[in-house]
Amino acid sequence: MALRTLKLEIFRYNPNVSGDKPQMQEYILEEEPDMTLFMALTRLREEQDPSLIFDFSCRAAVCGSCAMLINGRPKLACKTMTKDLRKKITLMPLPVFKLIGDLSVDTGSWFRAMNKRLEAWVHTNKEFDPDAQEGRMDNDLALRIYESERCIECGCCVAGCGTAILREEFISSAGLNRLARFFIDPRDERSPDQYFEVIGNEYGTFGCVGLMACDDLCPMEIPLQQQLAFVRRKMLVAGLTGSGR
Amino acid sequence: MLQRILTHSNKTDLVIDLAELISGFLLVGFLWVHMFFVASVLVGPQAFNQVPKFLEAYYLAQIGIPAVIVLILAHMVLAGRRIPNRLQEMKMIWKHSRLLMHYDTWTWVFQVITGVAIGILAAAHIWTVVSRWTINMSISAERVTQSPYFIFYIILLICGEYHVGIGLYRIGVKWGWFKRQKLSKVLDVITLAIIAMGIVSLFVIKSHAGVTGGGGQ
Repeated sequence: MALRTLKLEIFRYNPNVSGDKPQMQEYILEEEPDMTLFMALTRLREEQDPSLIFDFSCRAAVCGSCAMLINGRPKLACKTMTKDLRKKITLMPLPVFKLIGDLSVDTGSWFRAMNKRLEAWVHTNKEFDPDAQEGRMDNDLALRIYESERCIECGCCVAGCGTAILREEFISSAGLNRLARFFIDPRDERSPDQYFEVIGNEYGTFGCVGLMACDDLCPMEIPLQQQLAFVRRKMLVAGLTGSGR
Repeated sequence: MLQRILTHSNKTDLVIDLAELISGFLLVGFLWVHMFFVASVLVGPQAFNQVPKFLEAYYLAQIGIPAVIVLILAHMVLAGRRIPNRLQEMKMIWKHSRLLMHYDTWTWVFQVITGVAIGILAAAHIWTVVSRWTINMSISAERVTQSPYFIFYIILLICGEYHVGIGLYRIGVKWGWFKRQKLSKVLDVITLAIIAMGIVSLFVIKSHAGVTGGGGQ
């Protein structure tokens, strides 16, 4: 395909600069062969506008820091080739998360709060014995747990979720997917009742209305529909059989 | 925070979710059966005239209609809690949908719009039918020939079937009983088939207007 002249419309706003107003700024850039949006943005910052704020780290869809709205859809900029987009490209920061400036948002605080709220670590009363051999785990189970663990916390699922946009407290599919991992982990000793207490409500599993943008947009292609449904069914059983009020 | 702790019952949201699901399921069943009753006109005016007799004989009219009204009201409250009610929230979800251009998000927006539309249109529909109870070929034919009732019924039919089809899809997706794409295709076919059946039925009913002998009085 012939290389084109790209027109990038980029959201500009730095909340830390007093008097700054949100606006879309236009940049013109010559496309290169196999150009990713990461390359495009880096060239813009180096050659045209050093004040442009955006996040990158790994450039290989592993760190999750370059998620942004690319033509309105949450995607990883490093994984998106310019040749797959039309000539005019619109870039905006992810919604829901706190804006740092321009295309950069603070997903870290959101994910840390989510992990704390879900207590997303193995809860066990077993005393740790550093000399003992590790407990063995069935390979199929390990793979199922790993399926949830593939989440890179980029925030695309949260940003694509209508419910998350309307309700700040909604735990989102990133949170429900995280918890799904502990349900099936035999080392975690929490009871279904305890899980239900945290997510068996409108802010958790029953807040999801099934818009499925998370399932369609996850850059890691985690099967979020199945994960959410799995959590929902588990919580139904826990709610119907549990001893809660 | 105090009120949240005092009113806390961790089962409430589950019960409401299940009640929404059950009321939705029952209304899907009702609407599909309803459309098959209407489609009895495709068999012939006699079959159509038998339907109200059947409904009355089994008390489906006397008990069924009030029950459906209660069910609709319950579903409006239960599912309606999902509708953004502040103007800013509405603007946010609209902006979000337009930016995202995601199929299932749009279908939800239309699910909300058709839900509200059904609330208004179905009320008018129930009122016109119940306030002059009994159903037969001549009454129905006369009704659909009155402008703008024909268009009214087609809009109500499309809103109802769309809402029901998308609603079932969402239930299936949320509980994970079916694969999304397959479920979507099956329900699209069912929805389109029932809409087509309904529209053809309406035309057939209309064609009986003014025809003597089909009245079944």
